[in-house]
Amino acid sequence: MENFMINNTMNNANVMQQSTRKSYEPFVGRYDPCKPITVKYYETPPQLYLGFQPPGLEQFPPPEALKRGTLWPALYAPYSNPYETP
Amino acid sequence: MANKTLPDDYYQLLEEIQILDFTLVELNLYLDTHPDDLEAIKQFNTYTRKAKELRQQFEERFGPLMHFGHSYSTHPWAWNEPPWPWQV
Repeated sequence: MENFMINNTMNNANVMQQSTRKSYEPFVGRYDPCKPITVKYYETPPQLYLGFQPPGLEQFPPPEALKRGTLWPALYAPYSNPYETP
Repeated sequence: MANKTLPDDYYQLLEEIQILDFTLVELNLYLDTHPDDLEAIKQFNTYTRKAKELRQQFEERFGPLMHFGHSYSTHPWAWNEPPWPWQV
């Protein structure tokens, strides 16, 4: 959990999100007619690592909580499409 | 009826209520699983009081937000008057 830097500025949040995103390489057959997808990504959101939420967790200020969709920075996980972003 | 335009603080007050209500929802969900977290309960109560005050302020000026006894009514009866939430 330590390397799981929790920072809630917009861009850092994306960096954090990448660190919880995992990927795997599907098998590509020799005679595959379509353009193969070499890497597939799947999300592992923070709540998977959190278990039972400890009391006294850091909170967003209310206006920001409304914008971000959660009161808890530890659970904030915005989605950025891995296939589109360069 | 002339198309009534809403003053700016209609939206400001409504957004403030929305912000507090969202925080209250989050705290409520948290407290469901952490019933004896006193800090969170204190925070929940302060936000509830603030939200009640804001709602009262809003309703005094712009009419009821809710019906069926959750808001006082102005005269004439007005909860079903526009703007509805999706028109705001």
